[in-house]
Amino acid sequence: MTRDIWKHMILVIGAIIVLAPFYMMLSYSFKSPGEIDRGVGGFFGAQEMMVDPRCVKLRDPNRDEIAAAAPQYPGKSDSEIRAAIMAQAEIDCSMRPVVFNYSKAFVEAPLLRYLLNGVIVTASIFFIQVLVALPAAYALAKLKFWGREAVFGLVLFCLLIPVHAIALPLYIMLAKVGLTNTYAALVVPWTISVFGIFLMRQFFMTVPDDLIDAARMDGMSEFAIVWRVMLPTAIPALLAFAIFSIVAHWNDYFWPRIVVTGSRDLFTPPLGLREFKGDADGSFFGPMMATATIIVAPLIVAFLVAQRRFIEGITLSGMK
Amino acid sequence: MAGLSISSVTKRFGNTEVLKGVTLEVADAEFVSLVGPSGCGKSTLLRIIAGLEDPTSGDIAIDGKSVTGMRAADRNLSMVFQSYALYPHLTVAENIAVPLRMRSLTTTQRLPLIGPFLPGAKDQRAEIATAVQKAAEMLEIFTLLDRKPGQLSGGQRQRVALGRALVRDPAAFLLDEPLSNLDAKLRVQTRAEIAQLHRRLNATFIYVTHDQVEAMTMSDRIAVMMGGEILQCDAPSVIYEDPSDIRVAEFIGSPKINILPIELSNAELTLFGQVLGRITEAAQAGIYQLGLRPEALKLTQTEPVMTGTVAHMENLGSEVYAHIALADQTSRLTLRAAAAERHNLRLGAEVGLGFDLQDGLIFDAVGKRQRRIEVAVTHVREVA
Amino acid sequence: MAAIDAPAAARAPREVNRQARTAWGLASPALALMFLILLVPVVVAGVLSFTNYSLGNSGFDWVGFENYDRLFSRSTYEKMFVATFTYVAVVVPISVALGLGAALLVNSLGRIGDVYKTIYFLPVMATLLAMAIVWEFMLHPTIGVINQTLELSCGTFLEVVPFLANGCADGFPLWLGDRDYAIWVLCFIGIWQGFGFNMVLYLAGLTAVHRELYHAAEVDGAKSAWDRFRLVTWPALGPTTVFVVTISCIRAFQVFDTVEAFWPQGGGPNKSTYVMMFAIFEKGVQQNLIGIGSAITMLFLIFVMFLTLIQRWLVERKVHY
Repeated sequence: MTRDIWKHMILVIGAIIVLAPFYMMLSYSFKSPGEIDRGVGGFFGAQEMMVDPRCVKLRDPNRDEIAAAAPQYPGKSDSEIRAAIMAQAEIDCSMRPVVFNYSKAFVEAPLLRYLLNGVIVTASIFFIQVLVALPAAYALAKLKFWGREAVFGLVLFCLLIPVHAIALPLYIMLAKVGLTNTYAALVVPWTISVFGIFLMRQFFMTVPDDLIDAARMDGMSEFAIVWRVMLPTAIPALLAFAIFSIVAHWNDYFWPRIVVTGSRDLFTPPLGLREFKGDADGSFFGPMMATATIIVAPLIVAFLVAQRRFIEGITLSGMK
Repeated sequence: MAGLSISSVTKRFGNTEVLKGVTLEVADAEFVSLVGPSGCGKSTLLRIIAGLEDPTSGDIAIDGKSVTGMRAADRNLSMVFQSYALYPHLTVAENIAVPLRMRSLTTTQRLPLIGPFLPGAKDQRAEIATAVQKAAEMLEIFTLLDRKPGQLSGGQRQRVALGRALVRDPAAFLLDEPLSNLDAKLRVQTRAEIAQLHRRLNATFIYVTHDQVEAMTMSDRIAVMMGGEILQCDAPSVIYEDPSDIRVAEFIGSPKINILPIELSNAELTLFGQVLGRITEAAQAGIYQLGLRPEALKLTQTEPVMTGTVAHMENLGSEVYAHIALADQTSRLTLRAAAAERHNLRLGAEVGLGFDLQDGLIFDAVGKRQRRIEVAVTHVREVA
Repeated sequence: MAAIDAPAAARAPREVNRQARTAWGLASPALALMFLILLVPVVVAGVLSFTNYSLGNSGFDWVGFENYDRLFSRSTYEKMFVATFTYVAVVVPISVALGLGAALLVNSLGRIGDVYKTIYFLPVMATLLAMAIVWEFMLHPTIGVINQTLELSCGTFLEVVPFLANGCADGFPLWLGDRDYAIWVLCFIGIWQGFGFNMVLYLAGLTAVHRELYHAAEVDGAKSAWDRFRLVTWPALGPTTVFVVTISCIRAFQVFDTVEAFWPQGGGPNKSTYVMMFAIFEKGVQQNLIGIGSAITMLFLIFVMFLTLIQRWLVERKVHY
């Protein structure tokens, strides 16, 4: 038991270091700019009402607006009217820091759009990967044909090439075809997952031939066998592969950074966060951390809910 | 070499009591088998003896000295594991040498690269090499010494595991189902070899198995375990012929012993309403159970005690097992007959069965052997 | 008999042909994409690395080995290699060792250990770019938590530590802005992010170690935990270690997100963190110097392929047990 205590001590120290940034991220996303600057307020901050200076500034009335508002303030001078409007604005623009941070995250940048892009891109990548890899894996595992060894050799060779490493020529090719700054640019390089083919092939090797012969006896075409027999048996492996693929592409920053330059409409969540950081001045630390939290949260929450599956999925690459 | 004594050992895992007070004395150079169905606690007992698990209560003594609480490494026991547990990265020779290296070389002497050059290491290493050679010769595996376990067949691995056990001179050998991963033919051969090895080494062997044939053929004594207890510990012939518990009688012997309900009332023993014998001594009236080995049943045309039809036949060549469905009874009896009697036993044939009550074993309703009644019975033959 | 056999024999080759056609049909989309997306770009990069091509130019000139020459002569690229290899040489051994240590500790604790497993795996799941931004805040020289925490030690007995004493006197490091610290901070974050992954791989490796081997080791006289580790655990983890080291190397070579987040203007103070991926991005994409970018890409590919081939060779060699 005493031996276990020092083990726990070491592991707890490690856990603190590992968790520190997550703690800070959440904590910053709750606090007001002042609290962040001064490093006070504990985890949640005091949550005192704060005034959003940008909001107030937006409502600073010009001459016309003051003139228009004059009837509401009879007998007041222009500067008095302006002061009254500003006082009202300050009241309207004050809110709790946590509300401020999270609402700013969505208002200052089209965060919902980014998230939607993230979903579109990761989902398309996964579906195309399966669509391409599954039939190929089936052919490699279960069909006898001249050249099979060569094709499998090619798969093994391609496993050596990380897509990130050939990003530059891919970018040039896409630019030549005029596909940069499109969804296609974000998806196309990932449509072929050699690893997926390899993984599925290894899985299909374990499926008994009898099952396929039975399907053939029942009159199914090879194409039908792939989708109606092999796909259902491969669900556990596919699930793990899905997690592997989704985590990689939701979090990917390098490739989107290269091919998406102009329009915010195509930004994936990490790109959006990056841009937010570029614009941000000191007072926007809170909203930025709120954005970071929102981007990180989906995977972390999913991971905490289905830990075993996630760890299985991510360590899949260990099967190589 | 040394004797071993196990006294009132219990073991609990949470709420389940795996061992309920086991006591067993093993003499020096004795071969004792622990046999029983899976889950009876025999492997747990062996692991407690080895020191791989601690007993909840009770004591283990080797050569009169208590070793309870002592670590496995300090008990000077050798063990052969069911999976052989060979170190996959070491060659056969290195595997066999491990117990000696661990004991005679210091941690620094065992280091790679610099270890061999430390003072004293050279002599020790030479000694170890000789011992490994000797063990390999004894088991006829010297041609395999440079191979890795992955390149060996099941039988060869088994020998290497034995070699690792006998390379040093342990107080006792513990074997945990060492033959269960071999095919049937190899098992018969290795069975004989282990028995010979025991005679040659003249060492104490404790052998765990679920296979009664292994236990019967190899052991000096068999301890039949069930439900965390030793039911009986005796020589194989005694266990078979004179079991003291119906569970022992049922577990040992193949085909299984036949059990028939008998009743004792008014000093008369009756089976299906027929009087089998009279009791000369006073005994508790009630329901008893009569155990009849398949070879105790005889085919008889005259005055059969029971009649039935042949429901199934198993012809083994040298002998025949016939399953007889008794008339008006749901139970079936197994009869062992000589090959010559085969012509009497056709499927569906009506046969009469008889037996000599002297060959029967009488148990009470809970399964305890009633030797007193067996002795006191006088055999009466009545016409049915 | 012969009359029945003949048609069956005639059908067999046709059946084989049909199956071959279906097989090629099923594999062709994958094959086409493999060529187009993986093999062609390697060739394209190889060809372009000998040119001075730029996007938007209609043509290009062959420049021979000039691009490669530059890679090995200019000090910028020397810094690139230094930064990349420093990063790999620091992150790989430490994150592998920490992963192994954590796996052994977590494994020995049984079910309670799962809590640590979950925690250590979090950075693997989190978007690295987001976490890099958080680290940047924490490492901020004045308002960052790290320096604020370090300042707490000023005036206490902890000042006997020279690092703290210097910090209290002259101010604590700028971390990301400091050329002496930048690369080490980068390494630290790489380790922080990656060791949980290695731990999980090792944990998977540990479950494959046969429990009876530990018992055998115990009976054979391996008394200390170290003896059992040397005799059973470490050899059994051999294949896992080969894999963990390779994948850590490849991941370390590909470090980019943190560098780009911390120093978007190019490779950190005094280019001390100018790693290869960033160089490819900066030269090839941002400055449109495709030739030099391609040359770096080719070098990068060679490193990564070389590592993977070593790994495969080691695995094949050990496969016999």
